[in-house]
Amino acid sequence: MNNHWRTTTLSTVIALSLVLAGCSSNTNTDANSDANANGENKPKGEAAAGVSKTGFPIVAQPLVQKMFARIAPVNGPFKDMPVFQDYEKLSNVQADFTEVPTDGFQEKKNLLFASNELPDVLFRAGLTPLETIRYGTAGQLIPLEKLIDDYAPNFKKLMDQYPEIRSAITTPEGHIYSLPTVVTLGAARTDKKWINQAWLKKLNLKEPATTEDLYNVLVAFRDGDPNGNGKPDEIPMTARASGGPGLGLPVVAMMGGSFGLDNQLGYNINLTDGKVDIWMGSERNKELLQYLNKLYGEKLLDPEVFSHKEADYLAKQGSGNAGFFFDQTNNPFLEIADQYTGIAPPEGPHGDRIQSQGAPVPRDFGSFAITSVNKTPEAALRWVDYFYSDEGSTLLRFGREGEHYELKDGMPYYKEDFLKSGNQAKITPYAGGGAPHLISEKVASFINPPQVQEAQKKLDPYMPKVRYASPMFDEETARKVDVLRTDIDKYYEEQSTKFIAGAISFDKWDEFEATLAKLNIDELEQIYQTAYDAMQK
Amino acid sequence: MSKPTAVRRLSEERLFNAAVYAVAAVIIAIVLYPLLFVVSASFSDPAKVLAGEVWLLPKGVSVEAYTNILQNEKLWIGYRNSILYASVGTAINLIMTILAAYPLSRPDLPGRKTLMLFITLTMFFGGGLIPTYLLVKSLGMVDTMWALIVPGAISTYNLIVMRTYFQSSIPWELQEAALIDGCTNWRLLLNIILPLSKPIIAVMALFYAVGHWNSFFNALIYIRNESLYPLQLILREILMISQSDAIDGNVGLEDKILLAESIKYAVIIISSLPVWLMYPFMQRHFVKGVMIGSVKG
Amino acid sequence: MKTAQAGRTTAAAQSRSRPVPRLLKQAAKRYDLYLMLLLPVAWYAVFHYGPLYGLQIAFKHFNPAKGIMGSDWAGFEHFERFFDSYYFWRLLWNTLSINLFSLLIAFPIPIFLALLINEIPSKAFGKWLQNITYLPHFISMVVIVGMLTLFLSPKGGPVNTLIETFGGEPIRFLESAGWFKTIFIGSNIWQNMGWQSIIYIAALAGVNPQLYEAAKMDGASRLRRIWHVSLPGIVPVIVILLILDIGHFMNIGFEKVLLMQNNLNLESSDVISTFVYTTGILKGEYSYTAAIGLFNSVINLALLLLVNRFARKTSETSLW
Repeated sequence: MNNHWRTTTLSTVIALSLVLAGCSSNTNTDANSDANANGENKPKGEAAAGVSKTGFPIVAQPLVQKMFARIAPVNGPFKDMPVFQDYEKLSNVQADFTEVPTDGFQEKKNLLFASNELPDVLFRAGLTPLETIRYGTAGQLIPLEKLIDDYAPNFKKLMDQYPEIRSAITTPEGHIYSLPTVVTLGAARTDKKWINQAWLKKLNLKEPATTEDLYNVLVAFRDGDPNGNGKPDEIPMTARASGGPGLGLPVVAMMGGSFGLDNQLGYNINLTDGKVDIWMGSERNKELLQYLNKLYGEKLLDPEVFSHKEADYLAKQGSGNAGFFFDQTNNPFLEIADQYTGIAPPEGPHGDRIQSQGAPVPRDFGSFAITSVNKTPEAALRWVDYFYSDEGSTLLRFGREGEHYELKDGMPYYKEDFLKSGNQAKITPYAGGGAPHLISEKVASFINPPQVQEAQKKLDPYMPKVRYASPMFDEETARKVDVLRTDIDKYYEEQSTKFIAGAISFDKWDEFEATLAKLNIDELEQIYQTAYDAMQK
Repeated sequence: MSKPTAVRRLSEERLFNAAVYAVAAVIIAIVLYPLLFVVSASFSDPAKVLAGEVWLLPKGVSVEAYTNILQNEKLWIGYRNSILYASVGTAINLIMTILAAYPLSRPDLPGRKTLMLFITLTMFFGGGLIPTYLLVKSLGMVDTMWALIVPGAISTYNLIVMRTYFQSSIPWELQEAALIDGCTNWRLLLNIILPLSKPIIAVMALFYAVGHWNSFFNALIYIRNESLYPLQLILREILMISQSDAIDGNVGLEDKILLAESIKYAVIIISSLPVWLMYPFMQRHFVKGVMIGSVKG
Repeated sequence: MKTAQAGRTTAAAQSRSRPVPRLLKQAAKRYDLYLMLLLPVAWYAVFHYGPLYGLQIAFKHFNPAKGIMGSDWAGFEHFERFFDSYYFWRLLWNTLSINLFSLLIAFPIPIFLALLINEIPSKAFGKWLQNITYLPHFISMVVIVGMLTLFLSPKGGPVNTLIETFGGEPIRFLESAGWFKTIFIGSNIWQNMGWQSIIYIAALAGVNPQLYEAAKMDGASRLRRIWHVSLPGIVPVIVILLILDIGHFMNIGFEKVLLMQNNLNLESSDVISTFVYTTGILKGEYSYTAAIGLFNSVINLALLLLVNRFARKTSETSLW
């Protein structure tokens, strides 16, 4: 017994000291393994120094690139996606993904930079302009503008064709730290205004042309029992809920055009004769919010419009029980698509009629970036550039010909039996948004069927001539903009929500305006003005 | 003279007891109702739950929600992970807490006041998230289970409770006698102290295990790989974020939402089950352990 | 127990007589106790004191590429920005008021519950009640908030079903600033009252039964006995717990607030800890939020010291 305990004690002590030793040396071994990891990349990088500027493979020797990527809930594992399997064989570049789920991605992305534990590449990273500038200036992201000339021919061609891409991603110092998702297909940049034409027909109504018409139609939807089940369970109008503080209120953006409120420079801005006008405190915005408040108060606007989850919203679309709502495609309600048709923006009380909601050609900012630890940025850039061609984009979006898609008139279409398998979103990183690639007419058969094209045509006449993307500021200004916008956006969204929901009365509008002024909205406007002027030069 | 007072006192006593039982009944109802509702709802027809028809007993009994959960792979991976993290984590917690609590409970240890101060001070301030993250990263623990275990290896509060227990319920003369007999401190701890401390160890095990089982924030920060996610993060997705693909299959979207609503109740039951199963076994020690431990804390 | 105390006093007396060599000798003799402490103390040093140097980023423009040490100094810029921020007063008010209301409403309830259980004549029933009331304590925060969402849901949630049967309009509880604090504190009470009462029950068990007998002899009613015997018996425990509660005044329930927060209830759910999280981690403003966090800790510590001192003066009970 005694002996037994002595040995136990002894072994505990030994075990403890081992643990201790393990603990204290951990940092060193870790540093070593870090060095090793870099070392491992290095010989390969060096061996692959000859990154070919055209053709495949990109590198002669296999090259591994560590990529930090967001994975959407609808996606399958990246390593199982045909695009990455096939492209690895083609390019000789192996993408080693760290797949981080959308929920929690933002936290982990920022911690990655904060702890300087960088991958080679950020893929589908959703970097904001401020993050891009902050991490670019800090030297964690490398400037790509020079490399683009030689190693990104497809992307360069797009930049030449659409100058707004360059202005949207170039910092005032002339650096490009990240590549966006480029959307040349107009229909992929707007949310269509879908109305339930089956209900219109049943109730003998016309497509609404003005906001007043719309109101009457919605009232009829509410009271006329268009779904014929005898219960007042119709949802006359609904919209997406806000994605979070600072991400805007979709329902305001969707209806703003009818009140002359545009969306320029990626913000609540009207451009008139070269003058930047932030319209949040304007009389027109008040009218818009009053209109929405009226809809909300009379139960015409979905009471869950601020709170329902994305899944709920999509389900409402698919249920056929919604009268009027907004979405880019008809995919969520494909089975009952015939019930719906797209309409033009309704004309407002002052004759305004613009489709103000809409994204610029460089739609998703910060989709792709290369970090300073990357030994072969040329190869990484060439790797992603392929996705900016129709051919590469087809691979990314459709997978393998014959297995997942077939060509009709030179356009890829998903095969019927593949679609039936329900795996469409699992095999492509485009599902869930934000992947760096080109979305052109050629690769849009699925998201741009005739019905969506029709709906887009209704919007086209009312689109602004140019849609300016967010300007890039220098770091100092970007920080200032962020400080200002943190408070302003939060306040604006919160108050707008309350105005619409009737939680505060419009008597408080003066107070609202005064607070915006106190939050230095004028200074913000001035900053945007300066940036806009610089863009015009 | 004394008889009426006695009678009055008796009836007053009865009245008082009746009031006590009445209040107790109300409390029981308040505590149990939500739990019973969740159980009933999990066994009910989801449409009836959504329509507000279920209020106490299941309506349109169905185990569909449970069969659906059984097919949810993510949930089971999370389950497995959480069991692993909770068991390894709790073992480490217990070892570390005992190693700290016992020496600090010894009245004959020079410097123990200073050491106690060194330890208790940490309850009231910290270095913040970023420096802690940098530390965990430099130890190579990011995206491993250790990030969820090592930074929380000791809860100072539990340490104090345990130390108090050692101090107050194991007679010092017994320890002194053993030491005079030539027993080493290690043997004293393993042979005498620990066997006498079963209640507090059981309680601590429960505390720590429940803590591991229920925590989600550290995983949100440190774990990237979804296959390492603990149950609570998966739960958060199902309960709060309501991803439509929490359930897969070829049902229409509306059915999916219904199903998502209905599995929520079942998911709550399934995820709380291990803790509630542990509970009756620990419960006995529990009152003893916590009472002795914390009162003098 | 007596001898133990005697042993302690002699040890203390001896060590006082020839302090340093005696102490060293004593320490050396118990080297293995220090060995046991080695790992935990090292852990405290690494995981609690190690990250403290990071507090300096509150006074810097933290640049991850340059590291914490290499970043440029910012002075009190971040603190000024916070104090000038439009949300400063709201954050402070919400943080303080949630805790204040908790203290006023949620703190006394476990005491009441303990007194109630103590008065139940049937010990078995008392135990049973006790076990039931601390069941909810073991439910995770995620699940609690999930349950709240389901319970208070305007569609099929029992609370709104009840309201509707009485002809009322369903209330969107979780999307209303007015309801937030009530729901937050109410659900906390539901979850924790039983758990927190354990300590009081234990303390009540320690009250000398002779005191009750004496009170009974004096003809004191049950209520008077509770007031004059039970309650004074647990006052020291109450004071200690009160101080500990106030020690966590500024950062209570972060996870729960975060899970319950949305744009519509932000007006009353925006507290310092969640603000630090959303602007710090989600928007990458590390220095700014480190400054806010530091401010928070300082207030917290100041409160703790203040209350502790007050408690020592008035009730002769204190943390140290």
